[in-house]
Amino acid sequence: MNPNSLPVAVDAMGGDNAPSEIIKGAELAVEAGIPVLLVGHPDAISDISDIPTKFASEVIGMSEDPATAVRKKKDSSLVRSAEAVRDGEALAMISAGNTGATMASALLKIGRIRGVSRPAIATPIPVLGRANPNILLDSGANAECNPEWLVQFAEMGAVYARDRFSTDKPKIGLLSIGEEPGKGSPLVKEAFELLDEQDWQVRCSGEFIGNVEGRDLMNPDIDVIVTDGFTGNVALKTLEGTAKAIVGALLDVFSSSPEAKEGASLLAPSLLPLYETLDPESVGGAILLGIKGVSMVSHGSSGPKAIFNAISTAYELSIDKHVEHLEQVIKR
Amino acid sequence: MQGDPLGRDEILKLVKDRLGEILEVEPSSIQEGDSFRDDLDADSLALIELVEAIEEELSERSIDFRIDDEDLEDLKSVRDAVDYVSSRLG
Repeated sequence: MNPNSLPVAVDAMGGDNAPSEIIKGAELAVEAGIPVLLVGHPDAISDISDIPTKFASEVIGMSEDPATAVRKKKDSSLVRSAEAVRDGEALAMISAGNTGATMASALLKIGRIRGVSRPAIATPIPVLGRANPNILLDSGANAECNPEWLVQFAEMGAVYARDRFSTDKPKIGLLSIGEEPGKGSPLVKEAFELLDEQDWQVRCSGEFIGNVEGRDLMNPDIDVIVTDGFTGNVALKTLEGTAKAIVGALLDVFSSSPEAKEGASLLAPSLLPLYETLDPESVGGAILLGIKGVSMVSHGSSGPKAIFNAISTAYELSIDKHVEHLEQVIKR
Repeated sequence: MQGDPLGRDEILKLVKDRLGEILEVEPSSIQEGDSFRDDLDADSLALIELVEAIEEELSERSIDFRIDDEDLEDLKSVRDAVDYVSSRLG
């Protein structure tokens, strides 16, 4: 079978708005000509006639322990989605469900790329005034890392930046508490030494620009930010929480008086592009780098637009042979 | 249908082959007495990958077999794993 005609497996049961919003997102993808395989409980998807379906009798909840859930719920929509990729029924998979369980099912069923020590979650961070986001990895897969893993994250992040955002020579920063090389935890200091070497930079056509700080997450002079999964997750959630609080405060101000409302309506056309840049639905999700098949995780609150974008990205990366590009760089 | 039970040598080969794939080392370099952590540098995630791989391999041979997650922490070495699988299949 022509691999381009293979579908993207979509976990219909994952996410706060599943299955209805997930199905709507899948329908948008099909309308755009992207083949989809909807995987879910028969009660949720048996009435769908315009999209191929695969039934699964179990669902992994958002708060379940990832490894245990994946091992026990063999007939869950997540595990079946990963198996569809493993068995050649699907090109790629996406889920808006339990991130850890998505990683565990992809790792255990699809497997790691040879040479990859640990897969990492790469999350796009919007950059104001620039079309392409920065990429933060690891944003939560590996709470504890060793310095060599961070170098591998940097390599994978560089390949991803080039494949997904056409970044010619990705600039890679190491997240620390100061720009000077001597700043940071023992892990960061050791990783700096390794990242400063040329071999890996040549291999992945990336450029290490040294330490960067938390304030640089949205800095347009960086493309890839590397850190351990614990720090990355804290940084990501801090950014999300701050953005939410500021947006909430602005909306309160805009509705605080008739004059403010009038001013807000005048500003609205100028604010819309900014909103579009910051809207997580525009990006569609994070990718699990290091897996032998494109696997994407969308935010739990994803609506149809985010699901469509995740499906579309997963499809394009698969067609463009992203995994093969990672294999070529990681292969030693 | 239940397939033919495996002998201990076959189980040892299965464990070494799968472990070799996961750790990216030659299966022949793995010894039965090797400790997962101390000798093979295999962490808990590698152990879960091994368990999944063994279960899948046995299910392909129509052998109904499952390793209890509670038993995982008792498996410290290649020998422990082989003994465990042997006793469960026996």
